Amino acid sequence: MFDISHGPDGTIVFSGRLDAAQCAKAEAFIDAAGAVQAYDFGGLEYISSAGLGVLLRRHKRLVASGGRLRLINVNSHIYDIFRFSGFDQVFDVQRAGS
Amino acid sequence: MSDRSVPSASGSAAQESLRERRDFARSFDSLEQIFAMVRRVLDARGVGEADAYAIAMAIEELFTNMVKYNAQGLGHIGLEIECSDKDVTCSLVDPDSERFDINAMPDANVHLPVEQRRPGGLGIHLIRRMVDSIDYDYAGRRSRITFRKTLNRPWAEPAGASGGGSDKNQSE
Repeated sequence: MFDISHGPDGTIVFSGRLDAAQCAKAEAFIDAAGAVQAYDFGGLEYISSAGLGVLLRRHKRLVASGGRLRLINVNSHIYDIFRFSGFDQVFDVQRAGS
Repeated sequence: MSDRSVPSASGSAAQESLRERRDFARSFDSLEQIFAMVRRVLDARGVGEADAYAIAMAIEELFTNMVKYNAQGLGHIGLEIECSDKDVTCSLVDPDSERFDINAMPDANVHLPVEQRRPGGLGIHLIRRMVDSIDYDYAGRRSRITFRKTLNRPWAEPAGASGGGSDKNQSE
């Protein structure tokens, strides 16, 4: 399952699995959250290319206003997905435990 | 959603494989059931987390492409998973489709500047780095995509990554 919520520190907290069926839910929440730039992936187990699309769209909007998407507590598998997709060079990605 | 499930075990006692096949409706709503099937089969054989991630992702990418690009196709999409102690082989079958060989698709250019990056187009690119082979078969409007993943083999390193290794499955 997938869940998305506001964190206590101004972040958006992701948990579960962000697959293609959950992207509309994720994108609706992100859009409603406004200018939040930091996403906590500590509870996120899985992301697919559909989820990457959600992140890219959001990042581009942030860049347009001088910001950049920052992802924290990213697990090793998802970090590898970012490396293979080149998005480790696009987003500010911080691995879990770093 | 069709729920035809065909579990079976085959092979010698020394290398018994587990196989399960089910049909799924052409909808992203099928993903939850698909992942449940994947977990069930892989957990039964003790497949590790990294391998399970790669297999689940490859199945999702292939299934969602079939749904997106052939939503009007007749019939359900079949998924078969066979898990031995050495590898996992998965097949997705669309019984009513036009021919489209995914192996002919080039890799995504992941080095473009961000303003040129587009959402989409990464599914096949990522699958190629996570599995060992992808085969495409087409006959009588039936498309079959089969991939195989050797267990306990790391995902392929991106070209130019520190630590060596070469990127695999560059566009032909």
